[in-house]
Amino acid sequence: MTISAKSISLELGGKKILNNISMEVRPGEILSIIGPNGAGKTSLLNVLSGNIKSHIGHVSYNNVPLENISIQERAYIRSVMSQFQSIAFDYSVEDILQMGWLDHSHKDIKEDLSAFQNQVIQECDMENLIHQKFNTLSGGEQRRVHFARTLLQLWQPTNTNDQNYLLLDEPFSNLDLVHKVKMMESIKAKASSGTGILMILHDLNLAYSFSDKILLLKNGRVIEQGETKKMLSARLLARAYETFISIDENPINIKYY
Amino acid sequence: MELIRKISFQTSQFFSFISKNQIYLMSLLLISMIFFSLLAITFGSYGLSIVDFILGKTSDIQNTVLTEIRLPRVILSGLAGASLGISGAALQGLFRNPLADPGLIGVSAGAALGATLMIVLGGDIFSQYSLGVFFIPLAAIAGSSLVILMLYFMTKGFGYEGVTYMLLVGIAINAIAGVGIGILTYISSDSELRSLTFWTMGSFGGVTWPLLVPVILIIALAIIIMIPYSRQLDLLQLGEPEAFRLGVDVQKLKYTIILTCAASVGASVALSGMIGFVGLIVPHLTRLLGGVNHNYVLPGSALMGAALMIIADLIARIIIQPAELPIGLITSAIGSPFFLWLIFKIKKL
Repeated sequence: MTISAKSISLELGGKKILNNISMEVRPGEILSIIGPNGAGKTSLLNVLSGNIKSHIGHVSYNNVPLENISIQERAYIRSVMSQFQSIAFDYSVEDILQMGWLDHSHKDIKEDLSAFQNQVIQECDMENLIHQKFNTLSGGEQRRVHFARTLLQLWQPTNTNDQNYLLLDEPFSNLDLVHKVKMMESIKAKASSGTGILMILHDLNLAYSFSDKILLLKNGRVIEQGETKKMLSARLLARAYETFISIDENPINIKYY
Repeated sequence: MELIRKISFQTSQFFSFISKNQIYLMSLLLISMIFFSLLAITFGSYGLSIVDFILGKTSDIQNTVLTEIRLPRVILSGLAGASLGISGAALQGLFRNPLADPGLIGVSAGAALGATLMIVLGGDIFSQYSLGVFFIPLAAIAGSSLVILMLYFMTKGFGYEGVTYMLLVGIAINAIAGVGIGILTYISSDSELRSLTFWTMGSFGGVTWPLLVPVILIIALAIIIMIPYSRQLDLLQLGEPEAFRLGVDVQKLKYTIILTCAASVGASVALSGMIGFVGLIVPHLTRLLGGVNHNYVLPGSALMGAALMIIADLIARIIIQPAELPIGLITSAIGSPFFLWLIFKIKKL
């Protein structure tokens, strides 16, 4: 039961974006992808989520090849939070949240979902946002709403327990200190309830203090991947980012020059 | 449980995200539409009474005026309003852009050009085949489909950034179609080809049942197909990749909306000419009244479009009796200042 990618290569417009990447996202694990700009992190996430189809290689979810899973079923298995575009019409925050409701027609399901939504609203500290217009929110607030929406998308009725995954592209950008911590706690809680988590992060300190595994990407290739502890190497990071790096352990503090 | 989950998402339940207020509003719109229809049947250059008709107290002439002239006209105006309203709403949702309007972006013009081409070059084929009455609407639909597809490729898939190109393409298509319709009406001696004013300003006059029935069928079908896609149009507002991740088959959604909009606009233009700004104003008024979610906005715009168009046609008929104002003159007189206001509003944001 994993998301598994085998020898993924991708070319866009004659440029090699990804080169023979193999990786896994396991249930209950937090995997962070790090690497310099243009390493292919977001493209890799898009291949895994099914948004990019022109790649070579195989992606499977829980041992089923991705192309054999219908577009609608995929929505139940993985939810994705990425960089967002502006929204043309005046939806309320609640409208946007409810876009994460995959099921809504059955009455029992609707009630359960409403209850879960209230729980998520509390967890994400959004009581004061819920009745505002989405377009009037700040960038950070909008990201929090989208995050809450991706959590709602992963809702399952009681007594079902399908293995699902959360893919996050730079989830903490634009967030203030308090909400960064809150979102981290939600993600950790999600992982300990069994969801497999993949994140793209730029903040190395955050990535190392927070993930179970790290995947270091550069120029479309995996430089190294493995347990966070094993990945904590100044030489490795220096090779990827082409700068001088020093590391203090306990607490982890990565500095660059 | 598993079964319920899969099925419920696929059928995209219609009433799930409609509020009570929105249902009241739609009922109100429906009632006003019916009320306006009765008014429009009653008033005109020839006085009629519905009550007398039902009681059977009307003369043969009155009966003929009611069933062969008044009623088709009211139905056509309602249908045209509904199709322009709902298509405007759906196109605005699809383009993720509040300025999309079948008239402004050239879809109506494409339909008009298709219809005139068919009338001029088609010759006698209408009478030769039993399905001949479908030919003019189908030619109009082909014209409008072509324009929407062209817009699709010019704006690289209807992105929000494509707004400038969308409006520029609209200007170009409107100009091309204007020239085309002008030439066709000029070279054609065929009495079937209506005047230039008919195509550019629109009119509901002179419609007969044999021409009207196929248009009723096409527009009704388009609306019935379009409405269940409301929820997916909402999800599309998050952007195409996001909608896909939420389970929307974006490709299918796009082609369905393109085809249904082209069909309903094409069919209405084939019989009533180009009527500007309805597809722009109606969805905005609908949103202003009750909210932005598409399972309210789509049917709401259809109802509001029908109601407004029926009353606008009544005004056009009786305001300068015995003459008649072109309907497009009225809608443009109201619509163009509204368009300006909208541009200012968007610019401020």
